[in-house]
Formats: sequence, C-alpha cells, structure tokens
Amino acid sequence: MKISEIMIKKLESIEADAYVYNAIEKMVDKRIRSLLVKPRDEKDVYGVVTVRDIVFKVLGKNLDPNKIRVEEIASKPVVCIDKDMDIGHVVSLMRNFNIARVFVSEGKEIIGVVALLDVMAASLIERARGGRVA
Amino acid sequence: MLLEKTFFGGKTEQRVIENIKRHMKTLGSACEVFKEAVEKQDKELMLSVADLEREGDVIRREIISNIYEGAFLPFLRPSICRFVEIVDEAFDVLEDAAYEFEYLELDDEEIEEDCIKIADVNLKMCEMLSIAFETLFTKEDLREKNLAIRIYEKKIDEIKFDLIKKLRKKEVKDFWEGKILSDFISFLTHVSDVIEDASDYLYIMNVSLR
Repeated sequence: MKISEIMIKKLESIEADAYVYNAIEKMVDKRIRSLLVKPRDEKDVYGVVTVRDIVFKVLGKNLDPNKIRVEEIASKPVVCIDKDMDIGHVVSLMRNFNIARVFVSEGKEIIGVVALLDVMAASLIERARGGRVA
Repeated sequence: MLLEKTFFGGKTEQRVIENIKRHMKTLGSACEVFKEAVEKQDKELMLSVADLEREGDVIRREIISNIYEGAFLPFLRPSICRFVEIVDEAFDVLEDAAYEFEYLELDDEEIEEDCIKIADVNLKMCEMLSIAFETLFTKEDLREKNLAIRIYEKKIDEIKFDLIKKLRKKEVKDFWEGKILSDFISFLTHVSDVIEDASDYLYIMNVSLR
C-alpha cells in the first residue's frame, strides 16, 4: 500500500514566531497532537511541534507558554517521505528516528502526514484483505 | 469446513450462498458507480444506482424465498434473512443519496473531495464485507475483517465531522439547496453505518454457529 493512500491530507500549521500558547489553543481546538511549523523565510525549512514538545519542554519545566515561541521548541527539519513509497518505508523511518509521524512530500511541497495510528489501521486492513503486512 | 458441510452443504443452501454473494457484489457495483458519478459529476450515470438497487431487490426476494422453501436449518433462517435485509438497507440508503444527487449542485471543491473520499471508503467497506462473508466458510478469523470494517467506518466518521463543520459555514441560496445538500451528506455517510451493522451481524452469526 502506498503512503498516498493512507496519509492525512489535512495539515494544520503554525507560524514559527507564534507563541506556544497559540499552538496549544490550535491543538486543543482541532484535537490534534502536532502542528507543522512554517519556515520563517525562503532559506528556512519546515519544522514540527508536538504535544510532547510542549509538555516536556515548556509546561513540565514551568515555563510560560505565552513567552516561548514555537520555533524554540520545534524539531527541524521534519522527517519526510515521498508519497509514492510504501508503508514499510514509513515504519523503518519511524523506528530509526523514534518518531510517531512522518510528513509526506511531493517534490518540495509537504502534502500530508502519516501517524503511527494510520500505519496500524492500514496494516490491519491489508491483513484483513489477505495482503502483506507492513 | 465442518461448518460448511453441516450447515451450508445442500444444493438449495449453495444457491442461497451464491445469491448472497451476488447481492453483495451488486452492492459493490452500486457503490462503484456512485463514486464514479460523484467524481465525474455525472447525473446520468447516477441513475444506474437505482437500477442496481432494483436488481438487488430481485436477488433479495429470491434469497428469502429460497430460505423459506427449506434452505438451512430453521434456527439459522432468521439470522441469514436479517443479514440479507441489512445489506438491502445499505442499497436503500445509497439509492436515497443517489436520488438527492440529482438535485444537488456541488460547487465547493473541498466538500466534493470529501464526498468522493467517503464514496471510496464505502466501496472499500463493501469489498471487505464480501471478504468477511467468504470467511464464514473458511478457518480464517472473521474478527480481523470485522475490525477492518470498523476502521473504515471510523475514517468516514472523521471525514463526516469535518464535513459538517464546513457545511455549517457554507452559504446556501434557499431552504431546498441546504436541505438537499444536508440530506445527501446524511445518506452518504449513513451507508457505512449500515455496512458496519451487517458486518457485526455476520460476526454474531459466526459466533452462534460455533
């Protein structure tokens, strides 16, 4: 199964200079666990900020989310995979980098994201169809 | 295999089983046509869904009469009939959506994309239901197929809630435009609920036969 078949196309993003509090608001409103951090300028690259980053790097240290900018805690660059690769490659990337989501790219553009849960669901469906499991 | 011999081995039984498979295959065809019609915005093509629904009705009647003519042990008959009726409900809901499509004007690209996605998952659920039915006669685990259908259904639910948010922001010209769009989405998203019910029923049948 190709990545493009299981990826989530709806990507939520945030500006790099936004405050962590704005990121928290967005995550709570949209019920999501990560946000794509937009590049600051043409030379910059995409990043990602996750609930984990916010809890461990800000809230867990009793820092004020209204004073910390997203770019200070975001991971850069994001781990990306081409949309035409198969699930097995995503699993390898997740395992090697110890990450729960991989962004999907088409050329230089990020067009979607695949999370662990999506991989698990896709693998179960593949198994039920009698196909190979990632 | 023992199950197959004990409960499904006779000629009439085999005829019913083949017809149930044909019934589900017809539902799959209807879902496929539906998806293609939404993709191409082809109202003419959408009329074929009603034709397939009628074909499904004919098969359903044949199945039910075969069953009450003496196919299967009496304790199995109501369960099989109920399963066939649930599959038929999926036909009806799909036909209702197809009917609304005739008067629908999908001018929003995002909404259209979501509808195509839902139609695609409906089709995949149908295919999985057929696979699940085949599992009744093998030693494979039906639970896995049932779970796959639940995963698909969850996917549709996610798209549905997102779609409802978009619909609430959409401006409509008049009452009827809003009602048709709302009904179309309701029917379209309800198909998966019915297929999930059919899958659950299949699972119960499987358990009761053990």
